[in-house]
Amino acid sequence: MNEHRGASYRQIVIVSIVLAVLTVAEYVVALSFPSAVFLLLIALVKAAVIVQFFMHIYRLWREESH
Amino acid sequence: MSVSVAEHEHHHEMAELPYADRLRNNRLGLWLFIFSEVFLFGGLLMARFYLWRDPTTDAIIRPELSQLLGLFSTSILLLSSVSMALAEAAASRGDRRILNAGLMITAILGIVFLAVVVGLEWQGEVAPSDGAFGAVFFGMTGLHALHVLSGVILLFIIWYNSVRGKFTPERHWGVEATAIYWHFVDVAWVFFYPALYLIGEAVHIG
Repeated sequence: MNEHRGASYRQIVIVSIVLAVLTVAEYVVALSFPSAVFLLLIALVKAAVIVQFFMHIYRLWREESH
Repeated sequence: MSVSVAEHEHHHEMAELPYADRLRNNRLGLWLFIFSEVFLFGGLLMARFYLWRDPTTDAIIRPELSQLLGLFSTSILLLSSVSMALAEAAASRGDRRILNAGLMITAILGIVFLAVVVGLEWQGEVAPSDGAFGAVFFGMTGLHALHVLSGVILLFIIWYNSVRGKFTPERHWGVEATAIYWHFVDVAWVFFYPALYLIGEAVHIG
């Protein structure tokens, strides 16, 4: 139980770090070589990470046991 | 009369559905709502790229906004998504202490975001009367702020119910639904931030 809880919280921390790094990367890209396509691609990756790991879209196709 | 009886029977049937089926239906309904919201925010995003252009060169431009405020508000919203995710994970583990704290922190971060956008950004460079700049800027940030505000209200309702012990590790749809909605508001800002603050050449208004 505690191991499971640790794993879930650890995943949230890892996803948070990824999002923070991507946000900083976004800002640096905008300052150094501003490309609309590249900036929107970074935004798309950030959105995909949130939809998958925070919004849990995969639960739509998952069978609930309870 | 017959309608009333039919409605009663319908409610009776819904109540008899196993919780797993109701949960699946609830999730599908919420995601369909989220899908409809994508068109709303997507339309605003399209308007930004269509209207914020240099009339002579057709290059993409943007108003000169405070980069510090943009980065700060984005960080606040991302942090609030993290606290919301922690709260939801805590709900599924039955950890009420982290659930309650996570919900309250998320609500407070949402209020800070609103204060930054409404209290600082709206008093800055762009005014509502600034033609396409004003229309798009206040349309995008205003509609998004309205969603943040409704999310904060939902968070307080869920927090109140959580404090009263209404959620269990097996049944906490209220927390899950609020989390999905809150993260979606964050996703919308993930696209709005570069569109408003980073993409295109900054031009001075006025």
